[in-house]
Amino acid sequence: MNALRKPGPTLLIVEDEVLAAMALRDELEEAGYNVLNLTGHHQTALASAEAFTPDLALVNIQLDGRDDGIALAEDLKALGVPVLFISGQVSRARSAETVAIASLPKPYSVTDAVMAVNYLLALMSGDDSLPRPRILEVFDLPGIRPRSDAA
Amino acid sequence: MAVDPPQVAEHAALSLAMAVVVSSPSPLLLLDGDLNVVAASASFGLVFEVGPDDLVGRPVLEMGGGEWNIPQFRSLLEATASGVANIEAYELVLRHPGRGLRQLVIHAQRLVYLDLNHTRLMVAIADVTDARADEKVKDDALRQNVILLQEVRHRVANSLQIIASVLLHNARKTQSDETRGHLKDAHSRVMSVAALERQLAGTGEGAVELQPYFTSLCESIAASMITDAQHLTLSVTGLEGMIDGRISVSLGLIVTELVINALKHAFPHGRGGRIVVDFEFRGPNWTLSVSDDGVGMPTDPTAIRTGLGTSIVAALAQQLEAEVQTASAHPGTRVSVTHSHIALVAEDEQMLAVAVARKRPAA
Repeated sequence: MNALRKPGPTLLIVEDEVLAAMALRDELEEAGYNVLNLTGHHQTALASAEAFTPDLALVNIQLDGRDDGIALAEDLKALGVPVLFISGQVSRARSAETVAIASLPKPYSVTDAVMAVNYLLALMSGDDSLPRPRILEVFDLPGIRPRSDAA
Repeated sequence: MAVDPPQVAEHAALSLAMAVVVSSPSPLLLLDGDLNVVAASASFGLVFEVGPDDLVGRPVLEMGGGEWNIPQFRSLLEATASGVANIEAYELVLRHPGRGLRQLVIHAQRLVYLDLNHTRLMVAIADVTDARADEKVKDDALRQNVILLQEVRHRVANSLQIIASVLLHNARKTQSDETRGHLKDAHSRVMSVAALERQLAGTGEGAVELQPYFTSLCESIAASMITDAQHLTLSVTGLEGMIDGRISVSLGLIVTELVINALKHAFPHGRGGRIVVDFEFRGPNWTLSVSDDGVGMPTDPTAIRTGLGTSIVAALAQQLEAEVQTASAHPGTRVSVTHSHIALVAEDEQMLAVAVARKRPAA
């Protein structure tokens, strides 16, 4: 869950509610993902993304202090890190559909979250065979830069 | 009755006309064909802060400090004087020296009367600045309400997320299988309420579409409780329709309990099968049912345990004035919850009407 990278895909969770973040991290780690250190701050998240280039960032829209997940998503997109919004602010998430690839509205179950991550990572690698969780709203995929451009 | 000589009658008629103009409660001007003020209402002087000396006998465009000398005002008065047009509800902004920008609505009309040699114009001027501001305040308040509602829903969603997360976290950490089961059930119950919140947030109304709500509910239960989705399917059937949010939260919790119950007891030892959630409307009445094709109810009635789930279903059904029936479905079990208020003889017709209005699915 920190600098030590295991073989599975790497995820970044940016969430100001630490209990929600922990439950999400536990479930994703159980499912075999590498989850970077939890944070609810824009700058920490960005530093983490620059250092480890996660395969997907799960970003809440309301973050610590005055930090905003939409602004963070813009910066992450510039780094080539695709963003999945995890927020109850559904209309704000929709308004920012060009900087994220999908939105998982709160309240979600963590099993839905794992399914959503599985689905999106498969989709980005060209595999559309996995079931899409009903509550996941997928935006235009051209919003993602191919992984090869990210480096 | 004595008849007045013609000259006296004429004077009387003129002074009546003047008195009518002067006493008008809304600002009013009487102009001649050269756009000089013949008479003005007292209200005009008050509203636009023009003294009577600056009014009668002077050109209308020179009233006050010259603030009325507006090109549009001049041309609309000239058009009216020449008989080309009557002006109805022309909007104009007046830059008033003392009171700032005023939003005016102007009606101007050439009067039709016996004296053909003297053109007379009637000009009514309403200052709608304050009324427009009030409307804006009302619109802003309405918009503010919508924002507040969104904010409250957002907070509810956040809180449910935290509660669900804590329950699941505890379920992971506990050593006891039984406790883990209870915590996971509790998590499913919270997620059932959560699914409803999402539906409500999506529609922005107080009513919920049952089909997508039940479908997303079942998907969430299936994801967390069915380990082998190939062998066990969970589906939703029935008519589409909207139902009041307060009723649907109870229906969702009932579905959650019945599905959890079927998953726990109907398919032991990895047995496969299907669970069907169905909802049918019949006017104001409805039936919710959950059927499975599992092992069926125990033949020995004493073997039927009444757990927390059963008591939750009974309590919620009672709250919805519905009846719970459990029957063998050959194979399996079917539990139905039926609300048939309308079939009962109403002791209090008004109460019945309220209940029906509340429970009827909005079209």
